[in-house]
Amino acid sequence: MCSAEPDYREPPKIAITGLGVTSAFGRGIQPLLDGVLSGRPAFGRVARFDTDRCRVAVAAEMPGDPVLAVELAAVIDDACDTAGLDPDDRAAAVLLPALHSDPAAARDATARSVNGDAVAELTARTGLAPPARVYATACVAASTAIADAATMIRSGRVGQVIVAAGFLVDADTFGVFDAGRTLARDGQVRPFSAGRQGLLLGDGAAAVVLEPAAAAQRRGAAVLGWLAGWGRAGDAYHVCQPRPDGAGLARAIHAALSRARVDPADIGYVNANGSGTGFADASEAAALHLALGSYTSTTPVSSTKSVHGHALEASALIELVVTVLALRAGALPVNAGFLAPDPACDLDLVLGAAREARPRYGLSLNSAFGGANTAILLAAA
Amino acid sequence: MTTPTAVHSANAGTGSSAGPDGLAVLARARWPADCRDKLPAIAGFVTSSFSPLAAALADLCLSSYFGPPPADPARGDQIAIVLASTTGDIATAAAIASAVDEGRRVPPLLFFQSNHNAVAGYIAARWGLAGPVVCTIPVGDALADAISSAELLIEDAAALAALVIVAEAGRSGETEGTAVLLGPESWPPAIDASVPAIAAPANPGDRSP
Repeated sequence: MCSAEPDYREPPKIAITGLGVTSAFGRGIQPLLDGVLSGRPAFGRVARFDTDRCRVAVAAEMPGDPVLAVELAAVIDDACDTAGLDPDDRAAAVLLPALHSDPAAARDATARSVNGDAVAELTARTGLAPPARVYATACVAASTAIADAATMIRSGRVGQVIVAAGFLVDADTFGVFDAGRTLARDGQVRPFSAGRQGLLLGDGAAAVVLEPAAAAQRRGAAVLGWLAGWGRAGDAYHVCQPRPDGAGLARAIHAALSRARVDPADIGYVNANGSGTGFADASEAAALHLALGSYTSTTPVSSTKSVHGHALEASALIELVVTVLALRAGALPVNAGFLAPDPACDLDLVLGAAREARPRYGLSLNSAFGGANTAILLAAA
Repeated sequence: MTTPTAVHSANAGTGSSAGPDGLAVLARARWPADCRDKLPAIAGFVTSSFSPLAAALADLCLSSYFGPPPADPARGDQIAIVLASTTGDIATAAAIASAVDEGRRVPPLLFFQSNHNAVAGYIAARWGLAGPVVCTIPVGDALADAISSAELLIEDAAALAALVIVAEAGRSGETEGTAVLLGPESWPPAIDASVPAIAAPANPGDRSP
């Protein structure tokens, strides 16, 4: 389809030097890593708001009543601290946020944006320079920000970029997803499994520091992983359903691999979008077969949405973090909730328990409404 | 014919004026062009003017360049969509909030328009635009930032061209917007813009896989 073949004169060399994450498993990277490797879902009965009028009453929530700006500021601080950014570095860094709309703004007749005061609060709490924009491309918002960050870094026009994303389950979003009959009535997310019933929402906030390899080396920063490639492509198919043949996502995967000059044989793990939705999972499996060919049968795949839930605008960043952590841990996360094979999803799923492996490359895939697809290729440090 | 206009982007937020060379505004549209203009409805989209506005801007801009939909497949496959709005679809968000606050079930149709990607997907399907889809909430000048987003996509070789839409729709139905088709200077100029700008659209939502 798209013949805009990137100019891959040299594979990119973009370092990931900072990570911060919060999920229903708790604050920090270790609880999330433990959770995705255990395959123990974090879902429970929704405690944050009334679900009496909903078909489903389950989500993956952090305890209490977290505040998004507070959680985002915390993960940004964690990521910046991990990266060893000093105040001057932080002041010069470019912030690319991906945020879900603020329910308070919907109730405030004076609000000038669906994000309300989120950006102002975030910059006030973190001391970062105001961003040019908030990414709002639904479930590929954060991966779109990652790709833009990589493009800016590769052009040499910026140094450190902080991509931050957050979503906390709220009554409005829960209500509209419930009304759309997308939530799993059995209270489990079962990606690529026969009998899957849909997705479940989950809290999540994450931040990642990206920078040129040379900048990381100059600062003496530890490299946690490499952003080796990225690709994005559209389906031109439907308002909210993916192309059944997966051609759009396959083009995004092809672009990510081509950019890095990596063959399908080198991909040792795929963190799939795997929302647990019938047609979307089948479309993603088709995309993997198109993009990886015969290597699909030997490439381990899991969707960690099966344990941490769907964090919407933050999902791609949570899953990027999971993929980096898995490459570092030498263990591949579990595709939880599996009941039985679905012939439409013929994949090498990581089932039952985490799988020991030390792949050089992991691929994080995401798809969204409107036929928006992204593929992020990560390399072990 | 419309002569392409060269682009000199501010690259807002990227700290540089660098951008891809050889880009031009191939077509442009504004809404409303006339105070009597009335937005055509789109089947399946309710309550808010945001999605009809974005779709109307796309139709006005693209039909002036390509004629009736779809776009020429050889180029449509290489066109991204950047949909930007400083306010976002606040009318849909407010309708969902009202239902929740009043203890009503949220109307199911609102799910399908609950994020900006939905109408971007509608436009992509109607016009055959298979490049990336990007939706943003710019903090400053929306059109300048949306063009910067488009330039990043083109610089990244994720697309050769981009339909850039800035749609601002208030809670009370007030609408205003701009669309530009940004692409290579080497692409042909726009056709004579005498086609019906907004024909009654088919509903891509009816296309079941």
